[in-house]
Amino acid sequence: MTTQLAGHCHCGSIRVILEPGKPVAELPLRACQCSFCRTRGALTTSDPGAHLFVEAAPGSINRYRFGLKITDFLLCAECGTYVAAVSETPAGVMGVVNVRGVDLAGFEGRTPDPMIYDEETADQRLARRQDRWMPVVVVEVQPSI
Amino acid sequence: MSEAAFTWRSGGCHCGGVRFEVALAEVIEAQTCNCSMCAKTGFVHVIVPESRFRITKGAERLSEYSFNTRVAKHLFCSECGVKSFYRPRSNPDGWSVNARCLDTTDGLDLRVEAFDGQNWEANAHGLAHLSQEPA
Repeated sequence: MTTQLAGHCHCGSIRVILEPGKPVAELPLRACQCSFCRTRGALTTSDPGAHLFVEAAPGSINRYRFGLKITDFLLCAECGTYVAAVSETPAGVMGVVNVRGVDLAGFEGRTPDPMIYDEETADQRLARRQDRWMPVVVVEVQPSI
Repeated sequence: MSEAAFTWRSGGCHCGGVRFEVALAEVIEAQTCNCSMCAKTGFVHVIVPESRFRITKGAERLSEYSFNTRVAKHLFCSECGVKSFYRPRSNPDGWSVNARCLDTTDGLDLRVEAFDGQNWEANAHGLAHLSQEPA
């Protein structure tokens, strides 16, 4: 049994719960070097054995796409926080959570791994995500924070 | 410092909807901040006076978010959510530009220091000079 991690955007409209499936110290911490993630210094984590639940107040999620347009970046429409990214893969909706954006505990002091995915095709990208990302469930409900 | 010491540089949000220009010297005093807001956005502050900043595109696309004292006006692109600049509580007469949103930092000597925004009241006075207009 591993401890659930919870976090939220700045205004509290969007809450996340991460069931890590393993000790937090064994989860990766990635610093994607794409143009979007660099504007925010995004630090993400995911694990195929983990589960991510996103509770969002009705209307609070702004979905942003760019590049290959196979990813929804989940942004808070109220405070602008980048919460998570999700992608439809053959295995279902998989995603990563922005540890920095929702201030998840347990990653302090870690040095993130810089990641560069520029050369991937869409198929390669989806295959990687199917292997490394985690199932995500997004529910429209007022979070209790 | 004379006017000639500054060069106008451009930047913007991710989707290109919001663009700005900021006049910067070659050596720049910048700050990261550990407050609840900056920690989530990864904002790297470059604070300038009013006269050294201008929005060149997309002012109408900006969403505004305020909290606590509501002095700071946090501005982000309503399309891509990126906060390229805002009115900081420490310098409401000026602007804070996000160094992460400059088109390039080539030729800039960005000297980033950690600002302790969790103890804002004790530390904010140290930033006040950054938005002062030249005499």
